[in-house]
Amino acid sequence: MNKKNLNILKTAIPWAVILLLFVFPFFKPDIFFLSVGVILFMYIALSSSWNIIGGYSGYMSFGHGAFFGIGAYTVALLLIEFGYSPFITCVLGGLLAAVFALIVGYPVLRLKGPYFSLATLCLGLAVPVVVINMPNELTGGATGLFMPLLPVDIFVNRTIFYEIMLALAVIATLISRWALQSKFGLGLNAIRENESTAETIGVDSTRLKITAFVLSAFLVGVIGGIFAYYRTYVHTTTVFDVNLSIMIVVMALLGGAATWQGPVLGATILIIIDQILISAFPGLPAELSRLIYGLILVLVIMFMPKGIIHFVNVWLRSRASAAGAEEVQK
Amino acid sequence: MLSWYEIAHGLIGGIFVGAAYALLSAGFSLTWGVTRVINLAHAAFALLGSYITLTLLEMAGIDPLVSIVFIVPLLFLLGLGLHYFLIKPTAKRTRDITGASMVLCFGLYIIIENLLVIMFKSDDRVLHSRYSDISLAIGPISVALTSIISLAIAAVSLVIIYFFLNRTYTGKAVRAVWQDREGAMLSGINVEGVTAITYGLSLATAGVAGLCLVLMYSVTPFIGFSWLVFVFLVAIMGGLGSILGVTVGGLIVGLIVSLGSVFIPLAYINLVLFVLLIIVLLIKPSGLFRR
Repeated sequence: MNKKNLNILKTAIPWAVILLLFVFPFFKPDIFFLSVGVILFMYIALSSSWNIIGGYSGYMSFGHGAFFGIGAYTVALLLIEFGYSPFITCVLGGLLAAVFALIVGYPVLRLKGPYFSLATLCLGLAVPVVVINMPNELTGGATGLFMPLLPVDIFVNRTIFYEIMLALAVIATLISRWALQSKFGLGLNAIRENESTAETIGVDSTRLKITAFVLSAFLVGVIGGIFAYYRTYVHTTTVFDVNLSIMIVVMALLGGAATWQGPVLGATILIIIDQILISAFPGLPAELSRLIYGLILVLVIMFMPKGIIHFVNVWLRSRASAAGAEEVQK
Repeated sequence: MLSWYEIAHGLIGGIFVGAAYALLSAGFSLTWGVTRVINLAHAAFALLGSYITLTLLEMAGIDPLVSIVFIVPLLFLLGLGLHYFLIKPTAKRTRDITGASMVLCFGLYIIIENLLVIMFKSDDRVLHSRYSDISLAIGPISVALTSIISLAIAAVSLVIIYFFLNRTYTGKAVRAVWQDREGAMLSGINVEGVTAITYGLSLATAGVAGLCLVLMYSVTPFIGFSWLVFVFLVAIMGGLGSILGVTVGGLIVGLIVSLGSVFIPLAYINLVLFVLLIIVLLIKPSGLFRR
């Protein structure tokens, strides 16, 4: 096969897969698959968004749960108080998260390496404390906020959220791909490799970092808003989950943080493993399935510490060069 | 109206908690400095120390103080194992060990937590030793004997680590590797061995810290995460890489938690801590005690 055909195939296959995923609900699949799809696409979108700041620039944020929660609460409040549809207000939720990221970004992005990671972790833990202690009529306090269900039956409901999350995943992945391949991404990569050197060759590191942080927070906020409406219930423990903050980091790192494909791959693999462990072995105790999950995580990262995508690329290249050598011999 | 009694109580309580957190954070700080690994499973290893103490007491009636003899070598070996079987092979395959190790240690954390759930169930466990229901009077304030023992163990351990790092050849080698890995290698230090010892020491101190904490508080397999948050706070506040910094950081965090609970609701204390941490980092971006 020649190179041009290969390139066409390389773009055609992902779009064909996406198209198939979009029409999937119209074949009336079991509702379980739609629920898995919603969660899977959500994590792909989240992890891809995180990657813009965490992977490309190397500023590993552990506080993205804060942006997620801000989006979720904004949507819930606007629906309950004013009846605005979450499908529109999720943009507002994203904007609010972005503004918050802008405010905290200036001081926090001055910190380097683990100091940044841990400061953002603290941020992710502090925001829910503020929210839960706000006046009860505003945020529902410790009881949380309940939203009205969409007036459709459960299958249609799941289908709607499945399609929206899939769209969000595609958009987030495209934005993250654009970010990597543009001058913007080049600057971020330079910051990751060596920030002071990047500055000396004219990279405006503060502006780039803030932009990446804000963009990342905006996307996560939007996703949080949609998730809130999907669950129809918002509470600090469900939307400001530290586990979520850590999971999206782990997914991106496992897939390969410096690439745009990494988070997609990492999220897909982890969610599928998780679902298989939960649903394929119903007799398995939850602790044991979690334990196996941890074990898989350890083993995969031990053998592919640069991420799965890097491992796959090396393998493909070695195969391509082997094929090339064969051709020469002929 | 707040009485002096309550404030004094808070102060003393803060010192007890702070010392235990300081010891817990010391090892975390060590492995970060020497190998650039953020050990997310650090608190889980401490919890292992707590459960060993509990099990030894309940199964064999072994005194919690004696169980140190079991915890230290066992966790030291686990530390060596962690280095030789997990961290080292991973580090060989990548340049960015910090990122990879975070996933690795997160997986390890999940494994340990669920192993503990399987073995010990997920309910609250309290240590009932022969020191339990005794309290001593310091002036008008009564203090639980277990807290005093915990403070003593933590203080002695911290002093031992301090002297190890500053007075012994191996300890100085650890610090040398910390400051400049290649330079240390060039001066003929066995970097490999020093790194392994660091891991052993790190987990051993974590185990002892787990013992200190189980003397004072009840534990569940899930408490590791909240301990980890304190480890972060303490290690960052004190500056990664200084035993003195970790001790002071631990005491500051302990005092804020303990004194704060006299004045304000518990939920706000975490907020105060986080805001304080961010302020500290903004003024001194590498912690209070890092030059």
